[in-house]
Amino acid sequence: MMEKKAIRIEADDNVAVVAQDTEPGDSLICSGGSLTAVDAVPAGHKIALTRIPRGAEIVKYAVTIGLASCDIEPGAHVHSHNVEDITDRLCNEYEREFRAGKR
Amino acid sequence: MRRMAGIMAYRRTDGRVGIRNYVLVISMVSCSNSVAERIARATKTIPIVHEQGCTEFEHDHARTVLALTAAGRNPNVGAVLLVGLGCEQTDIEGVRKAIASAGKPVEAILIQKEGGSPQAEKRGIEIVQELKGICASQERVPCSVADLVVGVQCGGSDWTTALSANPVIGVMSDLVIENGGSVLMSEVAGFPGSEHIVASRAVSREVGLQVLDMISELRAEYIETYGQRIEEVNPTPGNKAGGITTLVEKSMGNIKKMGESKVQGVLKLGEEMPRPGLWVIDNRAQGPDPFNLTGLAMQGAVVTAFSSGRGSPVGNAVMPSIKLTGNPDTFRRLESITDFNAGVVIDGASIQETGANLYDLLLEVAGGKETKSEINGNFEYTIPREAARKSPEGGCRR
Repeated sequence: MMEKKAIRIEADDNVAVVAQDTEPGDSLICSGGSLTAVDAVPAGHKIALTRIPRGAEIVKYAVTIGLASCDIEPGAHVHSHNVEDITDRLCNEYEREFRAGKR
Repeated sequence: MRRMAGIMAYRRTDGRVGIRNYVLVISMVSCSNSVAERIARATKTIPIVHEQGCTEFEHDHARTVLALTAAGRNPNVGAVLLVGLGCEQTDIEGVRKAIASAGKPVEAILIQKEGGSPQAEKRGIEIVQELKGICASQERVPCSVADLVVGVQCGGSDWTTALSANPVIGVMSDLVIENGGSVLMSEVAGFPGSEHIVASRAVSREVGLQVLDMISELRAEYIETYGQRIEEVNPTPGNKAGGITTLVEKSMGNIKKMGESKVQGVLKLGEEMPRPGLWVIDNRAQGPDPFNLTGLAMQGAVVTAFSSGRGSPVGNAVMPSIKLTGNPDTFRRLESITDFNAGVVIDGASIQETGANLYDLLLEVAGGKETKSEINGNFEYTIPREAARKSPEGGCRR
């Protein structure tokens, strides 16, 4: 059987993207290490590389893409069911502070 | 800086550097399209035809003239023949002078003045043969990546685009900038959601404000046009099914092509790039991929790295388009239109190494290696159209 892979885009990311449909218990190669999926994760979807506690930042592309809306275990599927979209807040806060000369 | 930067290319008298010596036959108005096309076919040169050039409103006509002039002025173009009818709105002499001022031979003929289409065609073929002779005598000289203006684009995306192809382009972009060259990024409709990241990379406070003002204006335009905020409809259900969770994430997949370099500024179409580096082009034309690609060519890009997850044959009349896909299956199926397989990342190769390999291919193409878009004769030139803006001052209307 072909080895399944997950791709971590930047070294600081705490999620990776799985390259094949993944079943619970599947072992994945990721950035030289390995990881066991605890959920079914479809190809192109994110998988947690570390434990991400509720309220912590989800980091992909080395930037915050959202917040964990519950505790996320390593190997778990990371998507709308456990991620809060804070795009609005990130953009608005940055812009407000930038225009006020604080950035 | 581990990569080589030397290339052999054409240095124009205005100092800019081209990597091709194309001869163009540009139609001034849709009425002269067929004659222009026949001249180009008979001389194996590249025609630019379009659906405009007469009875246009001022805003639209200014865009037509800008696009046709910019085509002729692109450093990849060695010589130009303009073909007009004779009574059109486009000022053929104005276009001729604007192209000639870039220091290249440009001739003009009018169908009414030549005595009809067959006469214009015959005369046009004679002129183009002479122009080809002039171009054939020009030689490539030692230049470097510092002389290159490189566009980046994606289109026909799939789940691999943001994962492998665009990060690979980003690595290439960083190498171009590190070696003193320039990168042009457009597709600004995809910026909202990551404007805080782009603004944080601005070279100055002024440029940061330029970025934020542009995105505020885009957000306001979106509400005005669709009655909804961008966040309300993004990511789309299709995006979510593909694994994209938030708008920051979706938007980052787009801007990843820029790499991590400092943003030097935002340029409107037609605005001259004052110095090398990474620039954002404010082209808001909504349409098929050639709209954006043509916008990059109009800004002086001489080559574009174009990623397509599903595969795309698109090229441009004045610049080669290096096609890459992040999807290994697409590469296998569509190798006839694809130059580079970034899908090796999906199979386990590193993004850094693959991006460096793309940079090496960019240098080969700059030195003369033909791209699939050129081999297949994909020489699109689609004038990017956008509605006149009601309040050009923009400002924060969020």
